Amino acid sequence: MGNKQTIFTAQQLDAYQDCTYFTRKEILRLFDRYRDLAPQLVPLDYTSHPDVKLPYELIGSMPELKDNPFRQRIAEVFSEDGEGNMTLDDFLDMFSVLSEMAPRDLKAYYAFKIYDFNNDDFICKTDLEKTLNKLTRNELTEDEVRMVCEKVIDEADLDNDGRLSLEDFQHMIVRAPDFLSTFHIRI
Amino acid sequence: MAYNNVNFMRLLSEESSHSTVSSDSCEYYQTEIFDQLPSIQASRPEQSRQACEDYQGGSEAGEEVSHDSRGPKVKASTQPLRNLVMCIQGRRGVRDRRKMQISNIGFWESWRRSQSINRKRVWAQMGGTLSGLLPWQHTLHAIEGRFGVGVKAYFVFLRYLVYLNLLHCALIGGFVLGPTAFYGRGKNSEPLTFGGDDSVLDFFQGSGYLDRSPVFFGFYTPGSLNLQCLNTPLLYLTGILTILFLSLILVVRRTTVGYKHTWMLGKRHSMNVSYKIFCGWDFTIQDPPAAALKHSFIRNDLKLFLEEQSFSLREAQRTLGQRVRLYLLRFVLNLLVLTLLGGAFSLIYFATKTSQDERDHYWLVRLVIHYLPPITISFVNLLLPHIFRKISSFEDYSFTVQVNTLLVRSIFLKLASLGIYLFFIFTTIELNQQKNHFHCRENLFGREMYKLCIFNFLCTFCNAFLLNYPRKLLQEKYPSSLLAWLWRKQHFLIPFNVLDLVYSQTVCWVGVYYCPLLPLIGAVTLMATFYIQKFTVLRCCVAEQRMFRGSSSSVLFHFMLMLGLLMAAATLGFNLYEQEVTTGKNMSSCGPFGNGESVFNVTGVCVDSLPSPAQSTLRYLASAAFALPLILAEIILLTSYVSRGRANQKAIERLKDMLVMICAFPLQSSSDKRFLVKQHTTVLRRLRNPPRVRSAAIKEDVPLNH
Repeated sequence: MGNKQTIFTAQQLDAYQDCTYFTRKEILRLFDRYRDLAPQLVPLDYTSHPDVKLPYELIGSMPELKDNPFRQRIAEVFSEDGEGNMTLDDFLDMFSVLSEMAPRDLKAYYAFKIYDFNNDDFICKTDLEKTLNKLTRNELTEDEVRMVCEKVIDEADLDNDGRLSLEDFQHMIVRAPDFLSTFHIRI
Repeated sequence: MAYNNVNFMRLLSEESSHSTVSSDSCEYYQTEIFDQLPSIQASRPEQSRQACEDYQGGSEAGEEVSHDSRGPKVKASTQPLRNLVMCIQGRRGVRDRRKMQISNIGFWESWRRSQSINRKRVWAQMGGTLSGLLPWQHTLHAIEGRFGVGVKAYFVFLRYLVYLNLLHCALIGGFVLGPTAFYGRGKNSEPLTFGGDDSVLDFFQGSGYLDRSPVFFGFYTPGSLNLQCLNTPLLYLTGILTILFLSLILVVRRTTVGYKHTWMLGKRHSMNVSYKIFCGWDFTIQDPPAAALKHSFIRNDLKLFLEEQSFSLREAQRTLGQRVRLYLLRFVLNLLVLTLLGGAFSLIYFATKTSQDERDHYWLVRLVIHYLPPITISFVNLLLPHIFRKISSFEDYSFTVQVNTLLVRSIFLKLASLGIYLFFIFTTIELNQQKNHFHCRENLFGREMYKLCIFNFLCTFCNAFLLNYPRKLLQEKYPSSLLAWLWRKQHFLIPFNVLDLVYSQTVCWVGVYYCPLLPLIGAVTLMATFYIQKFTVLRCCVAEQRMFRGSSSSVLFHFMLMLGLLMAAATLGFNLYEQEVTTGKNMSSCGPFGNGESVFNVTGVCVDSLPSPAQSTLRYLASAAFALPLILAEIILLTSYVSRGRANQKAIERLKDMLVMICAFPLQSSSDKRFLVKQHTTVLRRLRNPPRVRSAAIKEDVPLNH
């Protein structure tokens, strides 16, 4: 591409650089990835802030996401409409938070939202059961699922209300040694 | 209430405004958590969503609330944009507002801010290019994608050892090769030419041509550099000691970093189910078979956890009679293990004795006889762990305890067999010295270490190409044959491969005094091992079914490395001591300390030539009178650290209890809860980020009753 890129204005690129963890080159590369998902929908000129949303099916079929059991939740959390249909901003935001450079707390906040299936700002037992079933592809028996969920609530719930609030979650994840290395996607 | 006026010191860590993968940039955590709380969110309905709709208006959810919060106001408004928890449009709005603010601030401030932003960008770019330059980064990336974090940890460890060996090579070059090349060698040392008796076999046996080459100790006779305190023997000794000392510092540092991490998190959390659920899925996986594998990992891990629960239940229900029988059985099995170890050691002894046999045979037989000790050691190390595994299945331990005992026994076997071998070499060389005096004792010892190193590498090579690759071909071509069923799928067993690496590094350390080019050989073999193992992992292996926690076992491996280093230092020390003690009988007639000089002579001459205050200080440091205060000081330091750590843990427990107690009363304000969680995390963080903090002491009076 060289220096003469005409997709974004200089101010737009600067704004993206400040608001995400990506450099100019990476932003342009991500734009190419975004466009490759649907070349007929995404214009080559973003200087006029076009309102383009890619449907969830395209996002969920990306090689980085297609094997992830939580891909639908990830797309829902980062999309504006909450349904998984992503604009370029959402796309960049998603990969920025999931990149290596994002700090632990930012990731913990978004991880909480991803695991909160019913969007009620608490991870309750049903959310945990859904998480577990997605993780093990429904291969555990109901009793086993119940026992594991009870143990999780037992360990992480500090305020004893039977569900995990954001504080409980962040408090627990702060001490997890593997969180940063597993909760990131490379693109 | 008892806690009306509470003062607490807020520590600002300099890592708060940028993050590395392993650091906790949690300084602004308290502001963050504050504006995410449900009650605060409720007071600003849908503000963050609105910000995303029209990014002109841009209510700064992050900034506004921070003015209400108890957080430091200064910090919040200069927080990096990327770290704000809001969508991109919201951040854009914040950015525009900050820009407008900049025009109100004044020239100097705005210039400083833009400079700091540019500087951060440049640093980030430099960091990016540097990490891209690290060797094999692309390979590690691919391996991580297919096999996960555990296997990658092995390769990262391998790369670390390569760096270590290259550092050693540089030191050897500076301290040993350089002076010898520059100032020449002794007058009556043997020339480095091909003699009549030399053959290619010398490269495998370490005799003949190689015996006279720079590879071994005997080459480095004292040259023309002959000052009292600066001569080639002293430089040689200093070089070796520097290598060992530097390795000690690096390994200890790596061990304590990993240990602090695991220990501070509390050992009870290593089996934490929450981690398995929330950090269980590796988001970097992009391969359907790897994803399927990960699913079965997680499932197996959870089943393991459930099994452990039921095991501990069963264990609690054992009757007295069952318990007594079990302990007796365990005692007998441990005796069996000890006898097996004893048998292995005696096998090594016989092999060592046979290998010193100097009779003339056909060249192949002679080669095999020379290599008999390394062959025996490798054979023993291959066979015995399997037997140990069978034995431990009778001992009725839980799975993790089983794995740990197996690991400990294997480590002991490997290091002890090396130690016993060294001991036997010493004694047999002593005996042989009395028969033929002209052999250079140090060269003999160096030869054995050289052979061990070469044989290790040959083993890895043959394992990959003669064992794993045919196995894989057999599985592919004839999957239903009997042989394929017997010779089942190959797993990449991480702990045992790491043990091999540690063993070869220990051999390098032990042998570096007698064979100065051993680090170079080690570095080359390690690099070749990298490619061989990469081939094995990517082509021949199916990833390990049981999940491997990279973080908690890395402490064990670094500890093993430290043990190896200590063994090397002990060997060297014993050898030098023996040299001093037996100085009348068997003078070493080769190398830097030939011509009747010993290590202590040379150092003594140097010390004598120093000015007298330095001399007396050195003598005092070396004497026993200094050792005692040193030990006392270390004990005091250690006790103070341990007691401080314990006091902090107690404080954490107390705060936790307070939290539970307060939350048990539903009418109590939730701000109490928030305050206590903050306290808790502050103390926890203080435990983990002690150095490099600029303390900004903020005294706050916090009324707890609203």
